[in-house]
Amino acid sequence: MIPTLSTRPLFIALGLLLMLVLWLSLALGPVNLPLGDTLRAALRLLGLPLATDDAVQQAELILAQIRMPRTLLGLAVGTVLALCGVAMQGLFRNPLADPGLVGVSSGAALGAAVAIVGGAAFGGLPEAFAPYLLSLCAFAGGLLVTALVYRLGRRDGQIHVATMLLAGIALTALAGAAIGLFTYLADDATLRTLTFWNLGSLNGASYARLWPLLLATLAVALWLPRRARALNALLLGESEARHLGFDIERVKRELVFCTALGVGAAVAAAGLIGFIGLVVPHLMRLLVGPDHRLLLPASALAGASLLLLADLVARLALAPAELPIGIVTALIGAPFFLYLLLRGRH
Amino acid sequence: MRLANILGGLAAVLLFPNLVLASESLPQRWVSSGGALSEWVVVLGGERKLVGVDTTSRHPVSLTQLPSVGYQRQLAAEGILALRPDLLLGSEEMGPPPVLEQLAAAGVHIERLTARAELHSLQANLQRLGQLLGDEAGAQRAFADYQARLQTQQQWVEQAQRSQEAPGVLLLLGHAGGSPLVGGVDTAADWLINRAGGRNLASHSGYKALSSEALLALDPQVVVVADRALEGDAARRALLQQNPALAGTRAAREGRLLALDPTLLVGGLGPRVPDGLAMLAAGFYPASQPLTAEAKREP
Repeated sequence: MIPTLSTRPLFIALGLLLMLVLWLSLALGPVNLPLGDTLRAALRLLGLPLATDDAVQQAELILAQIRMPRTLLGLAVGTVLALCGVAMQGLFRNPLADPGLVGVSSGAALGAAVAIVGGAAFGGLPEAFAPYLLSLCAFAGGLLVTALVYRLGRRDGQIHVATMLLAGIALTALAGAAIGLFTYLADDATLRTLTFWNLGSLNGASYARLWPLLLATLAVALWLPRRARALNALLLGESEARHLGFDIERVKRELVFCTALGVGAAVAAAGLIGFIGLVVPHLMRLLVGPDHRLLLPASALAGASLLLLADLVARLALAPAELPIGIVTALIGAPFFLYLLLRGRH
Repeated sequence: MRLANILGGLAAVLLFPNLVLASESLPQRWVSSGGALSEWVVVLGGERKLVGVDTTSRHPVSLTQLPSVGYQRQLAAEGILALRPDLLLGSEEMGPPPVLEQLAAAGVHIERLTARAELHSLQANLQRLGQLLGDEAGAQRAFADYQARLQTQQQWVEQAQRSQEAPGVLLLLGHAGGSPLVGGVDTAADWLINRAGGRNLASHSGYKALSSEALLALDPQVVVVADRALEGDAARRALLQQNPALAGTRAAREGRLLALDPTLLVGGLGPRVPDGLAMLAAGFYPASQPLTAEAKREP
């Protein structure tokens, strides 16, 4: 569990990077706050009794109501996407696996399409429930499709990973068709909402929406590292892992459940954000090697940093307007992925 | 003294945003989202107060020089706060709701008007804008003028229909290449066609792509293409080349293709709608003398 001497500097660097990015995410934004005010507001929010004036109060408001929930959301989404990416690449023993493979992303997208396009049909919902309809539908859709993929991959009490992978591809295609149908039925305005949702955004984060995701992230971040040794054993192959004494069926079940829970909650809170779950585990494997005991914490740190950096670009590039964050992560992620691909050839 | 008034008013706006605004506490910095609403603000003389607009506010062209706050359904809380607005104006399409909550918590007055294409909604909207701009009489005049122009237009259409048959019309939401979308019965396109005296031949709801055969079978006498780029004969020829089915219709054979600014189709009744109607009606009833600028001013 203890980082070896050679990886310790790396973990320190990753930790410092995350600290830096967290601070930048709180200190930078379209509203230009002087550094002194931001610092004082941050300290006051931490409970220090400092003197205040109008400028500090404005900074406090922006920090507490806008940047803080947004930063926490980015932290949770980045962490959970990267962790689930590691889990999926370990489970499928395939570096191309991403959390979408078990159908959770496409299921969530289908749930969101149902909520956005069919939302008017649910008109009779209680007022307090309506703002969460989209998130709930996305989360439920992700869980349902993942459960279905899992069920299809099971035979004689055993999960066949290859069957599950193919079932995931088939159900993703099916969900794609259903989303296409909803797209066809949608009018112009809902169509645009759907498009933007599919590109993800940390915009409009609020504490009320944050708690479920924070809890899910905490659960995943505490649980997955406990299965790091089993993931390592899985690298050798399923029967080898079984011979090493791991209850592989249980581990597989847990990995799928963690991914459905974590990615489902992340997607429900922030929409579809691609490439973090794919690229971050890759990058970290290059830096710390394939040992999941190191790979999981490194990916969590790097995933959170990368997502928060992408969000900084998203909110600053076109200010006062905002870029959907999925565009930024794909813009960073895709060329980087190509680079990895080409580098591997030599 | 005056400064104290202004500060007091500002505090009142910040603290009690839902109170009716007293004249000294009028919002001075506006962010407007929704094309038609922004246009009305300009028409009512409030352009100086605009500090930001959304991506659908593109008329008049001077608005495109203002900072853009993005698409009206995807507003960003901090981006808007950076413009230090007193008031955020928008239609029911404005969102997302959590962002509006954050803005309201930060003391921005959120003014949500309706984008429905109905005269009484427009009347209520203009009245409210007049209050917010401190020129209620001007807003009333603007509405009366608007109503009068629509009435004149209606009379003109009735007059024209005595001598000419109402043409069957299809409105295409154009984009080069792919099959264009046809405006159905519950759309703003349908409203414009009917007001200009045409019969909308489409019977579906919303904007849907029609097959080439369906287009030929409906055989419209006039085709309205909502595409700004459709200026001049070359553009029209290119459109017909890309859509052979369209070229086979009566409208194309008789050269009755009309171009319409697509921004007239979104965001409710804007100030340019009467002009658009007059243009469409003149195309629908070519034998009648078109409504001129002078005729428009007559009550």
